[in-house]
Amino acid sequence: MSEPVISLENVEVHFENERLLDFGNDPETVRAVDGVSVDVEENDVLSLVGESGCGKTTLGKTAIGLQRPTHGSVKYRGHDIWEIREGNSDADLEWSDIRTSLQIIHQDPGSALNPNRRLLSILSEPLRQVNPDLSKSEKRSRIYSLLERVGMNPAADFADRYPHQLSGGEKQRVALCRALLMNPDVILADEAISALDVSLRVEMMDMMLDLQAEFDTSFVFISHDLSNARYFSSHGNGKIGVMYLGQLAEIGPAEQVINEPQHPYTEVLRWATPDLSLDDHGEMPMRKIDIPDPINPPSGCRFHTRCPKAREACTRANPTAYEHGEQRVACFREDDTHEYWDSPELTDD
Amino acid sequence: MTQSHDQHTEHIAVDDPIIEVRDASVTYDEGTSYVLDGVSLDLGRGEILGVVGESGSGKSMLASALLDAVPDPGLLSGTIEYHPDSGAATDILELDTEDLRALRWEEISMVFQGAMSSFNPTMSLRKHFVETLEAHDEDVEAGMDRAHELLEDLYLEPDRVLSSYPHELSGGMQQRALIALSLVLEPEVLVMDEPTAALDLLMQRSILLLLDDLKEKYDLTMLFITHDLPLVAALADRMAIMYAFRLIEIGQTEEIINHAAHPYTRALLNSTPNLDAPLEEMRPIEGQSPAPINMPDGCAYHPRCPLAEDQCRTEVPDFHIVAGDHGSACFNWRESYDEIELVHLDDGERAIPEGDRQ
Repeated sequence: MSEPVISLENVEVHFENERLLDFGNDPETVRAVDGVSVDVEENDVLSLVGESGCGKTTLGKTAIGLQRPTHGSVKYRGHDIWEIREGNSDADLEWSDIRTSLQIIHQDPGSALNPNRRLLSILSEPLRQVNPDLSKSEKRSRIYSLLERVGMNPAADFADRYPHQLSGGEKQRVALCRALLMNPDVILADEAISALDVSLRVEMMDMMLDLQAEFDTSFVFISHDLSNARYFSSHGNGKIGVMYLGQLAEIGPAEQVINEPQHPYTEVLRWATPDLSLDDHGEMPMRKIDIPDPINPPSGCRFHTRCPKAREACTRANPTAYEHGEQRVACFREDDTHEYWDSPELTDD
Repeated sequence: MTQSHDQHTEHIAVDDPIIEVRDASVTYDEGTSYVLDGVSLDLGRGEILGVVGESGSGKSMLASALLDAVPDPGLLSGTIEYHPDSGAATDILELDTEDLRALRWEEISMVFQGAMSSFNPTMSLRKHFVETLEAHDEDVEAGMDRAHELLEDLYLEPDRVLSSYPHELSGGMQQRALIALSLVLEPEVLVMDEPTAALDLLMQRSILLLLDDLKEKYDLTMLFITHDLPLVAALADRMAIMYAFRLIEIGQTEEIINHAAHPYTRALLNSTPNLDAPLEEMRPIEGQSPAPINMPDGCAYHPRCPLAEDQCRTEVPDFHIVAGDHGSACFNWRESYDEIELVHLDDGERAIPEGDRQ
C-alpha cells in the first residue's frame, strides 16, 4: 500500500479552559482529542461520526493542520507538518504547499464567502494562488466549467452574483468549488451537508464523490448522522470512525461498521439513526441521555457511564483498540479472556 | 384493467378533531403570492401528526397560522377551529388579543428550533418558569411542582436546571427544558417546529422517545413539523406531506412509508439517506421546488414530475382517496406505484396490494 496522505499518530488535543475570576485553581483541561491514530489514504473517504462534543471537528481540524496537537504527530506524506511549519524540518516541502493541499468546507458556507465580492472574484482567488500564470480568460473559463459541473447553470449568470443571491445548497457548492480549485489532496467537510434539507443531501454527496474522482482528492467527512456517513464512505470505499469523548470507539470499512457494529456505542448510534423500516426500536439502549463533561471524563472506558453492557471492569481501565477483522474496536468485549466477563454488571442505583 | 370510480374530497377528516384547519392561506404582496395555499387539515385528539416538507414548503407558516401568529405583513385567511375537551368550539382567527394570549400556552403551546433564541439569556431557568406561571395567573407553587415533575420526565435534574442560566446547559438540555416550560401550563396541544433540528441524531432520537412518553402521561395532542421524514416516522401516528405551500398527501404513517401515493412523496422517500436502502438505488429529486412568486399553474409538482400530463399543468388536484383515510392530491396516484418504486422496500412489497386500494 502506498504512503498515506495524512497520518495521525496518538494525537492529543487538550485545551486549557482558563476560568475568569477563579485565580489560584489550576485551569480546567478539556480533552477534546485524547490519543487517536488514523490515516487518510489517497482518494480516501474517511467519515468521523459521533455526538456533539465528541471531538470529531477538533480531530478533523488537527488532521488538516488547522489545530496543533498537544501531543502526538500529524504527518503529511511522511513529514511532520508542525516541524515543517516551524522550520525544524529538512524536508523538501514548504508549509504553504501543505496548507494549499489541505482544504476545508464548513457547515455554514455563508460565513465563509466574502459577501462583498461576486462569485467570479471569490473563485478567482484560489486559481491566482495555485496558477499565478493563468490569463484572465483562462481563469474565467475554468471557473465557468466548474460551476456548470456542479449544476450552477448558466455559469456566467451565477459567476456575476453575490453570495446572498444564492440558496444554502448553492453556497455550499461554491465553497466546494473554491476548495477544489486549490487542487487539494484532502478536503475536510465539516458537517457540510447538515444544514441542507434531507432531500438535497444525496445530491450534494453524489456531486462531491463525482468531483473526487475527477480532482483526485480525499475527503474527511464529519457528520453526526450515520446514514450520511454510510452513503458517503460506502460509495467512496472508505472508512467510518466512531468517536466518543475524544477517542475512537470503533473504526473500519463503512458497510462493516454499519452492518456489523462491534462497539456498544456504535450500536447506540445505529439505534438513533432514523430509518424507514417502522420496526419498533424499543427502549433507549443507553443508561443516560446526556454525554459526560469532557473536562472530567469518566475513568476507565469513557462510555461506561452510559453503556448498556458496562461491567465493573470497565470502570478501571480504558480499553485499547482490538483488531476485529478490518475493524478496530476499543472494547473489552473483544477479548474472550478479559476479566470483564467475570466482573459484575454496572447498575445506576 | 377495470377503472374504478375515483373518489375526491377537499380534505381528509378525522373522527374527533381537536383542531380543524380549513382553507388556510397566507398571502403577501396583496394576494399575488401565497406562502400557504388553501391548506385543510384535521388534527385528531390525542394523535401525533407529523408535517413534513422541505425548506420553503410553507410548513413553518402552517405552524404560525395555527396560533394566528403569521409575521407581518402576511394576511391569513380561512378558519382554524379549536375544539376544547369541554365547551364550545372557537375560531382562533376570530379571537381578540387577550383571548389569543390565553389560548397560546394554556391550550396550544409551541416549541421552536434553537432553544437559545426562546430563552432570555440573563434569566435563570427558574425565573422563566415563574414568570410564565405569573403571566397566566397560575398558582406558582403548584406550577413549580409540575415543573419539577416535567423536568424529571425529561431526564433532567430539576434543581440543577432551574438554578442554571440557559448558556450553562448543553443544547440538548436547553431544548428539553424548553419542552418542559411549554407544558407547565398544562396545554392540550403541543405544536413543534423543527424542535430537534440543531441537535445531533442521538439527542434527537432520545427527545422523540421522551415526547412519546409525555404524550401518554399528559394526554397530549402533538403536531411535529420537520424536513426529516424518517425522523418523524418513528414518532407520528399520521403524516402530512407539504409541497410548495400546499398539502399534497396525508395518511397513517405506515401507509405513507409503504404505500405513498404521490410522486413527490415517493421521490422524497427515495432521496433520503438511510441505513436500509440499497445504496445504488437512492437518488436525489431532480429540479427545485418553486418560489412563491413563481408558482406553476396546476399541480405545483408537475415541472419535476415524471407522470405529469396536460391535466396536471392546468388543474390543481383535489385529494383522491387512496384507501381509508389516506389521501393524495395527484391525478395519477395509481400510476405512481408502478412508475416510481420505493427503494427501501423489498421487491415483494413494492407492488400495489391487491384489492387494498380503491
